[in-house]
Amino acid sequence: MAAGVAAWLPFARAAAIGWMPVASAPMPLAPREKRRAQDGFIILNVSGTKFQTWRSTLERYPDTLLGSTEKDFFFNEEINEYFFDRDPDIFRHILNFYRTGKLHYPRHECISAYDEELSFFGIIPEIIGDCCYEEYKDRRRENAERIQDDADDENNKEGVLPDMTLRQSMWRAFENPHTSTLALVFYYVTGFFIAVSVIANVVETVPCRASPGMIKDLPCGERYALAFFCLDTACVMIFTVEYLLRLIAAPSRYRFVRSVMSIIDVVAIMPYYIGLVMTDNEDVSGAFVTLRVFRVFRIFKFSRHSQGLRILGYTLKSCASELGFLLFSLTMAIIIFATVMFYAEKGSTASKFTSIPAAFWYTIVTMTTLGYGDMVPKTIVGKIVGSVCSLSGVLVIALPVPVIVSNFSRIYHQNQRADKRRAQKASKEAGQAFLNKTNLSFEKEHHHLLHCLEKTTNHKFVDEETYEKNCMEVSSVNPPGSHCSSISSQHGLTSTCCSRRNKKTFRLPNSSHAGSLQELSTIQIRERPLISNSRSSLNAKMEDTVQQNSEHPYVTAAIISIRTPPVTSPEGNNTSDSPDYSQRNIVKVSAL
Amino acid sequence: MLSVEWEIEGLQTVGIVVIVCASLKLLHLLGLIDFSEDSVEDELELATVRYRPEGLQQLEAQTRFTKKELQIFYRGFKNECPSGIVNEETFKEIYSQFFPQGDSTTYAHFLFNAFDTDHNGSVSFEDFVSGLSILLRGSVQEKLNWAFNLYDINKDGYITKEEMLDIMKAIYDMMGKCTYPALKDEAPRQHVEIFFQKMDKNKDGVVTIDEFIDCCQNDENIMRSMQLFENVI
Repeated sequence: MAAGVAAWLPFARAAAIGWMPVASAPMPLAPREKRRAQDGFIILNVSGTKFQTWRSTLERYPDTLLGSTEKDFFFNEEINEYFFDRDPDIFRHILNFYRTGKLHYPRHECISAYDEELSFFGIIPEIIGDCCYEEYKDRRRENAERIQDDADDENNKEGVLPDMTLRQSMWRAFENPHTSTLALVFYYVTGFFIAVSVIANVVETVPCRASPGMIKDLPCGERYALAFFCLDTACVMIFTVEYLLRLIAAPSRYRFVRSVMSIIDVVAIMPYYIGLVMTDNEDVSGAFVTLRVFRVFRIFKFSRHSQGLRILGYTLKSCASELGFLLFSLTMAIIIFATVMFYAEKGSTASKFTSIPAAFWYTIVTMTTLGYGDMVPKTIVGKIVGSVCSLSGVLVIALPVPVIVSNFSRIYHQNQRADKRRAQKASKEAGQAFLNKTNLSFEKEHHHLLHCLEKTTNHKFVDEETYEKNCMEVSSVNPPGSHCSSISSQHGLTSTCCSRRNKKTFRLPNSSHAGSLQELSTIQIRERPLISNSRSSLNAKMEDTVQQNSEHPYVTAAIISIRTPPVTSPEGNNTSDSPDYSQRNIVKVSAL
Repeated sequence: MLSVEWEIEGLQTVGIVVIVCASLKLLHLLGLIDFSEDSVEDELELATVRYRPEGLQQLEAQTRFTKKELQIFYRGFKNECPSGIVNEETFKEIYSQFFPQGDSTTYAHFLFNAFDTDHNGSVSFEDFVSGLSILLRGSVQEKLNWAFNLYDINKDGYITKEEMLDIMKAIYDMMGKCTYPALKDEAPRQHVEIFFQKMDKNKDGVVTIDEFIDCCQNDENIMRSMQLFENVI
């Protein structure tokens, strides 16, 4: 937009003639423009493909290679063109950036090649337009992960480093069993014992033939109690040893203790120890029985051995919100139908639908198309509602399931994108800052225009803080030389004008009063990029070209400090300090 | 006994009616049934009007710009408005880019009317360029004429105090809220008073074109500021 807006500046300035008859004060001088050379063509030869554009197009972004004098290094006198030995396909996008102000990322290009070209031409990637920004960031992240993975693999493939401590090598062995034979053996042994333990838990409950002399069947666990106990002990011993070894070898013990796998380990072996401690205590034996349930968690230890289980767990975790929403909508439907069923069946005799929660069971069974048949409606309305319920159950459950399955990755990425976008805001600010280093002469002219408006209305632009401060300090407004006239609020000015955010280089022409020689001094102010709502602080670097002459020159200085409240300390100011005040009360405040 | 039965029957009937209506509504929602007559599909929008300006030769003859200058203008114009004409919304948008602190829509509206000489609601490139020709290359008389035309909102040849007040408010609106000294509500009115005092020679409450031009030509400041934008392009 900056490019387009710049083209309309002459129009806006011409329209300012409409203010002239109304203004009561004389207007400031227009900025002196060097007679612009007629805008000429510039030919860029990129590996044989010739690109042509206007010089002024390239000069829109003076901070890049093509916009600055850096391109002179590439000028070739023999062919009288600027020659770049780079990729012409990618250069097309870069040149389009100059033309339209928006940088696009072509999907078919390799991300690292693109990055290289951008950095060569001095363009920061944060200014990529919104249309292509997500894609760019995703590709970049994938690339970075790939590089990281490769680096990790490299690291792992190295043999045991001679100076690794025993602890480090143990940890490595635990995490990557393929690195040494001992680790592999350990890995398989623990896997075997997990399997044995799980099978033992299962078989324990199978009824065995009754031992001779007893009538009813006993579960095997009670028949061969000793055998099972020994088996259990052996397994738990192995697990305990493994856990302790991992704990010792872990580089960060605190983190290890908090990790999911270690919690599973602990939960898996705790019941045994608790059982050892509290034997033959009738009161807690019930609780003890419950604890044995946790032994089934040993099966989760397999996830250390299986990559697939880990991925499944991870994807479930990441899709948790979608699943949660599905559950929520199901719950809503269940409640609605249960209520309707209850009231429909209220009239019928001996109805099983004794309460709404009782009807929940019917609704769930019907909606999931299980249809046990233990509760059936008897009235006509009830049957109608029941049929609607089962139809909608099919819709609500069966249809979205394949959609959810195929949408897993899409939803997952989409979710990530919203967070990513928020996280990327900060770097986007930097990108905006880059974009806003626009043409200096445009700035000059624009500020002259604003200055004319100020003169027409006899009011000056200030920034919000100063304005509020002035509102509060109405009384101290008048003593000569004691307050600030700060022109041009960067904040307001920069919010939409010529720059999407807030970085601007600013030049303000100073003019003196009518009747005397005009002086022009330019003050160059640079802002740091703003971050969301905070104010920028401007450094006023005054380059003074003032020649002192007549009695009442007044110099208006633009100022600005936002971080440090505009105080009347004119330090670092112009040399023309105190005596040069005219009828107006103007004080220069500089901020650093 | 009978009444209980009827009660049950009645409830069942009510239930059935409700369910039938609800399912009809559902079908209507799903688009399977159409109740109303006016379910007409949206007409395809007519393709955007494309407007081409007169040839370069004619424009060069009509305005005081050279071919090169016209080319530069047109390129910028076409970039912002590919359709070839500017409507008021776009105009306001573009103009407000230059005055981010205040609200320039009212002034842009007046400006739009001043540029839109044939009053057809849009500014074509010819209007644009002829307006600029007056402003940048015209004589002082023409510029003052143009300014008078801007102020005279209803184009009746007189500037009344109300019109001037509207214009003044629009200008002050562009300043926005954060100004020094703080903008009072009276400021535009006072400014209008000063203006009328200066311009209205026969004190009849309106300013005619002759009074306006006369007065401006006698005012050094105004004359000098008229020359200010000579070298804009």
